Amino acid sequence: MSMSSKLRQTTIGRSIWRTPDAVTERDRAAKHWASFLLHIYPVKVRRDELSFRYSWFLGVISLVLFASLFVSGVYLMFFYVPSPATAYGDIENLQTEVAFGQFIRNVHRWSAHLMVLAVAAHMSRVFYRGAYKPPREFNWVIGVILLVMTLLMSFTGYLLPWDQLAYWAITVGSSMAAFVPWAGDQAQQTLLAGDSVGSATLVRFYVLHVFVLPGTMVMLVMFHLWRWRKDSMLSHPEGGDHE
Amino acid sequence: MSDDEPTIIGNKRVLGIVPSRPPVGERKDPRADDQVMVWPHLLVRHAVVAVAVLLVVLVLAVLFDAPLREIANPTVTPNPEKAPWYFAALQELLANFHPVVAGVLVPGGIVLGLLALPYIDRNPATAPSRRKVAVATFTFFLVAWIALTIVGFAFRGPSWSWVWPWQEWYGEL
Repeated sequence: MSMSSKLRQTTIGRSIWRTPDAVTERDRAAKHWASFLLHIYPVKVRRDELSFRYSWFLGVISLVLFASLFVSGVYLMFFYVPSPATAYGDIENLQTEVAFGQFIRNVHRWSAHLMVLAVAAHMSRVFYRGAYKPPREFNWVIGVILLVMTLLMSFTGYLLPWDQLAYWAITVGSSMAAFVPWAGDQAQQTLLAGDSVGSATLVRFYVLHVFVLPGTMVMLVMFHLWRWRKDSMLSHPEGGDHE
Repeated sequence: MSDDEPTIIGNKRVLGIVPSRPPVGERKDPRADDQVMVWPHLLVRHAVVAVAVLLVVLVLAVLFDAPLREIANPTVTPNPEKAPWYFAALQELLANFHPVVAGVLVPGGIVLGLLALPYIDRNPATAPSRRKVAVATFTFFLVAWIALTIVGFAFRGPSWSWVWPWQEWYGEL
């Protein structure tokens, strides 16, 4: 008997896992009902979903990068105050004084760029597979909203280091809001919390970046995955029609 | 074969005879529509993908430091002024078209078009050969967008002039 199954059969182990070892298919199916982490998955999927060609695993890749950003972002939050007087110094301090500070910042930065690529690629793969077709239309809509939110996450995060790169990239990026017909000035002022990028902008972007956007994204991702699980066993609209 | 007269072959009683081929079809071939257990078939693949992604991030983070320029200074405008790379296509459009077109109509149209896509494209076919219009349209926009992004990111220098990235580099991540 393996170590893990011995552990599972103790009183505490049974209280945590609640299921026997997955010996038969029935045991494995039971896991999906009892396990919190597994409940996001369906019990069975169609065989072609296992292949790389089907999805290139881009949805999983996006989710893993989101998790990486979540964890590294929380670490960065401990050492950062969103004010023009402190922000830049906090980043310098993070890179030189804080344990693994530079490394965690790098992880956050590269995960963010990769996530924009992964989410865009995920959308393209879903398009070419025709996986947005009925009854999955609304999950595609949720996905498009998640793509826009990924871009907003990246954009709001870009300002936080408060260096020349951040300041002017946000200045240029947000200048496009001024061209909204009739309400251009209002749109830009709402975005920047003022006429130009300043301390109010930094606070606004920070709150959006660490609370509003990620919180909304977590809920939307849960809904997205829930719909994926519900629809996972549906065959294609014209079953077997795909290549 | 009746019960009262058992067939005996080599000291063994024969209980039944089955045909040499299964009654329906030939051997069972795995089909795309077959159901397979998620645990372990899909989970193990997802685990491998997750480890691979984290490995890529780890290697990038060890090799390349995130940029940090001088402290923000509203009085010193860098040239070129570049938006983040994923907005480079918009910035490139902005340099060539009226701002209302490049800054509002195009991005707004793209997002609205994507949101409405499943309600516009009601063709139930999923094979690319039977949805040529949809595939061609999407591919056109995708390629154009990637091209504009690359141009805006790597091929634009001071005052948005054309530069060759292997001679001068102005891309920022």
